[in-house]
Amino acid sequence: MYDPTVARLTYRALLGKRRALILGALPLLLIAISVVVRGLAGADDQTASDLLGGLALATMVPIIGVIAGTGAIGPEIDDGSVVYLLSKPLKRPTIIFTKLIVAIAVTMVFSALPTLIAGFILNGNGQQIAVAYTVAALVSSIAYAALFLLLGTVSRHAVVFGLVYALVWEALFGSLVPGARTLSVQQWSLAVAHKVAGGDLVTSDVGLTTATVLLVAVTVLATWYAGQKLRTLTLAGEE
Amino acid sequence: MAVEHPVTAPSGDQTRIHNIGYRSYDGPRLGRAYARRSLYSQSLRGAYGLGRSVKSKVLPMLLFVVICVPAAIMVAVAVATKAKELPVDYTRYAIIMQAVISLYVASQAPQSVSRDLRFKTVPLYFSRPIETADYVRAKFAALASALFVLTAAPLLVLYVGALLAKLDFADQTEGFGQGLVSVALLSLLFAGIGLVIASATPRRGFGIAAVIAVLTISYGAVSTLQAIAEAQNSTGSIAWIGLFSPVTLVDGVQSAFLGATSAFPGGIGPTNGEGVVYVLVLLGLIAASYGLLIRRYRKVGL
Amino acid sequence: MTTLSIDHVSRWFGNVVAVNDVTMTIGPGVTGLLGPNGAGKSTLINMMGGFLAPSTGTVTLDGQPVWRNEDIYRHIGVVPEREAMYDFLTGREFVVANAELHGLGAKAAQKALATVEMEYAQDRKIATYSKGMRQRVKMASALVHDPSLLLLDEPFNGMDPRQRMQLMDLLRRMGDEGRTVLFSSHILEEVEQLAWHIEVVVAGRHAASGDFRKIRRLMTDRPHRYLVRSSDDRALAAALIADPSTSGIEVDLAEGALRVQAVDFGRFTTLLPKVARDHGIRLLTVSPSDESLESVFSYLVAA
Repeated sequence: MYDPTVARLTYRALLGKRRALILGALPLLLIAISVVVRGLAGADDQTASDLLGGLALATMVPIIGVIAGTGAIGPEIDDGSVVYLLSKPLKRPTIIFTKLIVAIAVTMVFSALPTLIAGFILNGNGQQIAVAYTVAALVSSIAYAALFLLLGTVSRHAVVFGLVYALVWEALFGSLVPGARTLSVQQWSLAVAHKVAGGDLVTSDVGLTTATVLLVAVTVLATWYAGQKLRTLTLAGEE
Repeated sequence: MAVEHPVTAPSGDQTRIHNIGYRSYDGPRLGRAYARRSLYSQSLRGAYGLGRSVKSKVLPMLLFVVICVPAAIMVAVAVATKAKELPVDYTRYAIIMQAVISLYVASQAPQSVSRDLRFKTVPLYFSRPIETADYVRAKFAALASALFVLTAAPLLVLYVGALLAKLDFADQTEGFGQGLVSVALLSLLFAGIGLVIASATPRRGFGIAAVIAVLTISYGAVSTLQAIAEAQNSTGSIAWIGLFSPVTLVDGVQSAFLGATSAFPGGIGPTNGEGVVYVLVLLGLIAASYGLLIRRYRKVGL
Repeated sequence: MTTLSIDHVSRWFGNVVAVNDVTMTIGPGVTGLLGPNGAGKSTLINMMGGFLAPSTGTVTLDGQPVWRNEDIYRHIGVVPEREAMYDFLTGREFVVANAELHGLGAKAAQKALATVEMEYAQDRKIATYSKGMRQRVKMASALVHDPSLLLLDEPFNGMDPRQRMQLMDLLRRMGDEGRTVLFSSHILEEVEQLAWHIEVVVAGRHAASGDFRKIRRLMTDRPHRYLVRSSDDRALAAALIADPSTSGIEVDLAEGALRVQAVDFGRFTTLLPKVARDHGIRLLTVSPSDESLESVFSYLVAA
């Protein structure tokens, strides 16, 4: 199911100089802001929860998910170098699954780790907030990576669509329209965070069981569908 | 395969090609300024989809309508209820509609520059009389003008409507004037930032995504920090935080010098001193975008 | 695993028919797929390589379908036309990665690199390679698993004459070893020099297949042209035109030869020596002047 060569190629393509810079910019921004806030406001649990929830989880994690998820396969399909993977006796679902693992790993490192650091800077993990949000980031990394890998496989404009989803759906509608919140990866991961933190600071509109089921279902379905799509991927000539 | 003997020409023949058709052009040439103007007008029209395919007209025209409709509604309501004042200040309108403006820049900035980069036609421009500076100026001016049209049109609607509702002429004209200056600065700033980001990549999708990301994230981060600062009662820093996002930068300038009420939390705008810094940063960013674009296009080659 | 069968294959994209009911069998040796630009060559090769599904018909390699069958790639090596590769890798890393994806090791990769003579640059990044070097690395990646079918889409694009000769030698060797090598081209000289067997595709249709000289013979509706030099051209001309197998004779004063148009090829070839002997004329040169691939091709394309 997992091929180390595909993983190596994906990982090296993802962390090429330019993309690594872009991936690193957001976490650095988060940490910088956390330092500023800590300087301004001192250690405050509510502030920490707001910042980690609003900036880290609602904005940074989805965007990193988009960049890593679409970047794991999109550029290869776009410039045609995916042919070197497709012309091998390698099962297509294996290719997708390996790329998913790499995308998840990259997303986790660039989103969950900074969230943890920012959380500790903000309030030294008071009320387990830092850890809770980090767990939420880890969990949502998986779902986002799967969703955006699928998007990168089926659509040439995956980055745009992904960003619209991340910034408009998750950050905007997700906070405003109640119904939309059940369909938001962010809310599902918040349910898990709520379990970790206990207490009332970290809340979610979705129950834990529903959230877990949806997270797993979305990840599995997206990965399976992407594998099927790759089996019938058509390589046209030079466009 | 046969080997054919070469044809030998009869002796005494002189080989010549006669000039019977090709004529070079000796007439008047219109020069750099004309070329620059043409590029400007073509880019400006392209920013609204004019002169391009039907599909590319949809989004800009839609956004134009979306930004004007609330102004029209406000005017209708004011006329109908014989209000004494428009519900929203001229200077506040653009701030409220920043999402529409951001979306417009994000979609039209890459449209303007990334096709030339992707298909490597930029050298074709520079092998003609226009210089790097001409190209940059034309594109910058075109996008800024397009944005100005987008942001000033609703202000015009408000102004005309206010006059129709018989509101005070001097008052409204002053507000309108302030609004126009404000959106002019906003247009220049957004155009500069949008073009710098869009010209960094030949792929249009990335350009769109990058512009949206930068505009949204900067605004999100700044407003979050300002909210926290307000909640923590360290109001002095609210104004300084506002320097870090294009929209709040414009907001700061207009509330310091153009008589607008600040959209910062607590209504606390920058003082005059801070306002000067705001203006300097704003103008500095516009100049920096221009400089970066010139540098970018100097490096473009075959 | 050496015979590729294309059976009544068509492929359309919306209203455009790119490949129109093509049937051909590609066997061991070097086969050239020839056709003007836009004739459907790339579409055909993509279908042969399992990267595109035919709208109707089947493509099979020794009986096994090529579409949606990943295992068949053990026997197929593909050299795609598009230039994009993993530019951030060095040549060696790229070929090694390809070898590993086939379940082979660095040794197979080294052998492949030696075959294409790219060892001298193997540690430079592919982004710094010239076009010809990229083509050779692509060849190495296609050869690394010793496939019995090699598909090359416009392989000589961008190669300088020396590299082209080397690649031709390599492909000839592959063909001699019994592999099936199929390459597409629209450059006639390349196909002429390399292919034993050509398949001509024009506007999506399969126009001709086989040895191009034999194809020329089959074109009986076009007169064969010959260039004849003799000791007495005019007398020969008069004798030849009397026979119904010729349809035209031109005395080329500049060449000092006769240009003969023969409508009945078989009859003409027995006629010419007989006539010459009967009239005591000595034949100096007799050569067919339109049996080149170029003329065959232009007849096919114009048809």
